[in-house]
Amino acid sequence: MSDKKTLGEMLTERGVSRRTFLKYASYTASILALPPTAATAIAQGIANARRQSVIWLSFQECTGCTESITRAHTPSIEDLIFDFISLDYHHTLMNASGHLAEEARLQAMADNAGEYIVIVDGSVPLKDDGIYSTIAGITNLQMLQETVKDAFAVIAVGSCATFGGIPGAHPNPTGAVPVSEIVTDKPIINISGCPPIPEAMTGTIAYLLSFGSIPELDELGRPKAFYGEAIHDRCYRRPFYERGMFARSFDDEGARQGWCLYEVGCKGPVTYNACATLKWNGGVSFPIQSGHGCLGCSEPNFWDMGGFYKPLSTATGDPLKWAGGAAVAGAAIGAASAVLARTKRNKAIKAGARKPSQEAK
Amino acid sequence: MQRDNAAPCLSERATGMALSVLAEISRMLETLADSGEPGFIDLRSLPLSDADRAQLEALLGRGEVQLELELAGASEVWETSYSGVWWTRHRGAGGKIATEEISVCRIPELLLSHPVDIEAAAGRLRQELETTHV
Repeated sequence: MSDKKTLGEMLTERGVSRRTFLKYASYTASILALPPTAATAIAQGIANARRQSVIWLSFQECTGCTESITRAHTPSIEDLIFDFISLDYHHTLMNASGHLAEEARLQAMADNAGEYIVIVDGSVPLKDDGIYSTIAGITNLQMLQETVKDAFAVIAVGSCATFGGIPGAHPNPTGAVPVSEIVTDKPIINISGCPPIPEAMTGTIAYLLSFGSIPELDELGRPKAFYGEAIHDRCYRRPFYERGMFARSFDDEGARQGWCLYEVGCKGPVTYNACATLKWNGGVSFPIQSGHGCLGCSEPNFWDMGGFYKPLSTATGDPLKWAGGAAVAGAAIGAASAVLARTKRNKAIKAGARKPSQEAK
Repeated sequence: MQRDNAAPCLSERATGMALSVLAEISRMLETLADSGEPGFIDLRSLPLSDADRAQLEALLGRGEVQLELELAGASEVWETSYSGVWWTRHRGAGGKIATEEISVCRIPELLLSHPVDIEAAAGRLRQELETTHV
């Protein structure tokens, strides 16, 4: 349940100093790409906030998103967010089970009406009255509609909840749809990715707590702080792309030299996410740094984009075919290719946004 | 110093960014001297290679004050060899650098005792004295 004390009062009693708040705020400002001067306002905002009630609903999903946000390591500054929220329902993590778990959800909704946040991972099946995924005897659709009724905001985490994801991939046998196709009267923040970067999830919650408002979102409802730039734009291999230096296979000299993975299927040019800057596993690495192209998992319909190992020019039948020539032509073509890639992305988004609903019907 | 999360092939190359950041610090320091207005740079937001970071750290050097803090993980704060230019390094999980910033100011806010903490400390000390007298 949410504590009536402010987070500042609550944590002061536990010996957590305002210096620790300020350190957390500096970290949060940095991952949100806010200026360092925002740290003081974030620290003050969190200190004055109440512990945020969160109800986490898991539908057609693999629990990868939960694994991502609860990644195991020593207690640290990144984990403070879990002191700031009251996770009142999460059927994988909570102690209660059966009817007691469902009572906890209903109690949290009653106690925090209009103030709680609903986090959803997983898509929602609509085909055959939604019978393909049920919890506690009701369909995911019923549980979602019932739970968001008095929510302050909804956060859809993972590509299943944001775009339909793998359950919604062709031929979409369960009629899976994203949360945004069902919830139309509440603010929805999409944190896409398979799974999303942990900092994108915790940073967004910290923003809500600090400022009491929704962060600036892109056209797909994703926080611009994390999804404002293409992976390609911040990739450390970008200089090789500009020079036309590409790996042609995973065991050639180009791959060994760490050259650009565009020609072995990297979707970095059309994928908007913060993998190249925030990275994974506490900043250790990200797929491209580990030698594999980006799969584009934070974009709509990434599973159906034509093949993980086909270059963008051939994977989608796009006129980018000539972009393979960038290997020879270098920087000039590289810049033009990036423009075309963005155009291609916008087309993919439009197609992706329509697809789940069409198949659900 | 080896940056914890840098790509291996970037770590050995200096790109000239250190000198650009140094020029910005110089402008901020002159502003601080003239008007007292502080300035801040989030180093994590900049595309610095390991070599750039090491070069910047070497160019700024270390001054009279160096502090280690334990705030949900280790933090280090030091005044560089240029008075008023402070380097703050926050470490997170596994001791990795979570965020790092340059503060151009008289003293970083992080080092000041917060009124709320002072009030709580006064209460604890008062209680300690009362308990001791009993």
